[in-house]
Amino acid sequence: MFLQRLNPSVKAVTIIVFIIFLAMIFEPVTPLLFLMWTIFVTFIFGKVDVKKYLLYFAPFIIFALGMFWTSIVFADTPNHPDDAIRFFGIDFPKESVLTALALTLRILNVAALSLLFVFTTNTVHFILSMMQQLKLPPKIAYGVLAGYRFLPMLKDELKLIHDAHRIRGVNQAKTVKEKWQNYKRYVIPLLASAIRKAERTAMAMESKGFTGDKHRSFYRQFKIQKQDFIFPVLMLFGFMFSYLIAIQIG
Amino acid sequence: MSSWRFKEIVVMAALAVVFGVVYLAFLPLGSLLVGFMGPIGYDFIFGIWFIVSIIAAYIIQKAGAAFLSETIAAMVEVLLGNAVGPMLIVSGMIQGIGAEAVFAATRWKNYSTWVLVAAGMGSAVTSFIWGYFRSGFAALDTHYVMAMLIVRLISGALIAGLLGKTISEGLAKTGVLSNFALGKQMRKDAA
Repeated sequence: MFLQRLNPSVKAVTIIVFIIFLAMIFEPVTPLLFLMWTIFVTFIFGKVDVKKYLLYFAPFIIFALGMFWTSIVFADTPNHPDDAIRFFGIDFPKESVLTALALTLRILNVAALSLLFVFTTNTVHFILSMMQQLKLPPKIAYGVLAGYRFLPMLKDELKLIHDAHRIRGVNQAKTVKEKWQNYKRYVIPLLASAIRKAERTAMAMESKGFTGDKHRSFYRQFKIQKQDFIFPVLMLFGFMFSYLIAIQIG
Repeated sequence: MSSWRFKEIVVMAALAVVFGVVYLAFLPLGSLLVGFMGPIGYDFIFGIWFIVSIIAAYIIQKAGAAFLSETIAAMVEVLLGNAVGPMLIVSGMIQGIGAEAVFAATRWKNYSTWVLVAAGMGSAVTSFIWGYFRSGFAALDTHYVMAMLIVRLISGALIAGLLGKTISEGLAKTGVLSNFALGKQMRKDAA
């Protein structure tokens, strides 16, 4: 539960930093151990629903498998081509296989780090916290939040456009090609109504005194406290540990 | 920040919501393509991720529109519940810088077709450099990496540049952009 209460900006910055750390690693042991550590932290401190987690993780596994086989087939010329591993009766250079494994595990580890954030963070709080801790201008923060609120309205709008087209007899799409044509017809009216809504919303907010001034008060306050630093320290510990073991193994 | 009207920012966010849904729909498709073709699978559809930059820059025609709109689009995507998480905002900023650099080279004065296409390719270049570092393309065969870059450049030029231009002009024709640079310019041209 402690991950949910963490300051969203601290959590986001920590995750971005470790994703960048991972980009510098080209051996498989560190990302493997750190992946296990990340998943361990997610479930111990985050109380995440396992089924939902697996559902979100699945596309990354497909992605990672694609990366794995291409990294072997299209590997850079290895330095020691004689050192080979045998798979399905074909020899592959050991170096290429290890690098491919490293890149694959990196993708999975990045996915696990992202999901740790996604599953334990209220995204609206994240935007508010970025404004309060990371100096995101209020104009952008509230603009983004206002835009986000258009989502359900746009769903209704899409239905409206669909019906309007139908009344005029254009919506009898049966084949995939016709459906695609229909979608093309939706784009412009949908965007046009989104722009109109945006203009009206902005005007309404400004007429009620929104200036975008940085020195404003906040209804929901976000602060960085001492316990927020437990998370980066925890992750750093896991990363150092993984890295040191990787060096030991060689 | 003071040179930006709030209206322009909310419009960018609204565009981002519409395309955010499109982006989210493309993510699993991208994963599937990567599963079959390797990382190059993503490059075919990568241009769709830059389209907001092109549309916003073309509509608003201000310094920073391409960068800001792509950053806002990334934030909206995070809000919509994207599995990529906070890293997406960094990627969005990097994509935006590429398109912005091209518009900056024309001093934000020229929005002709070839500039829009070049801006789409600009995003392709910066996003590729970022991907090269992040996903470790250094470990791949140079020819394969070159092929990826070329496919991404074409995708950026066509999907972001040309499609972005077509959509913007379609919008301008509806009259909804009468308060924005592109709408005003269209009206002047018509008169």
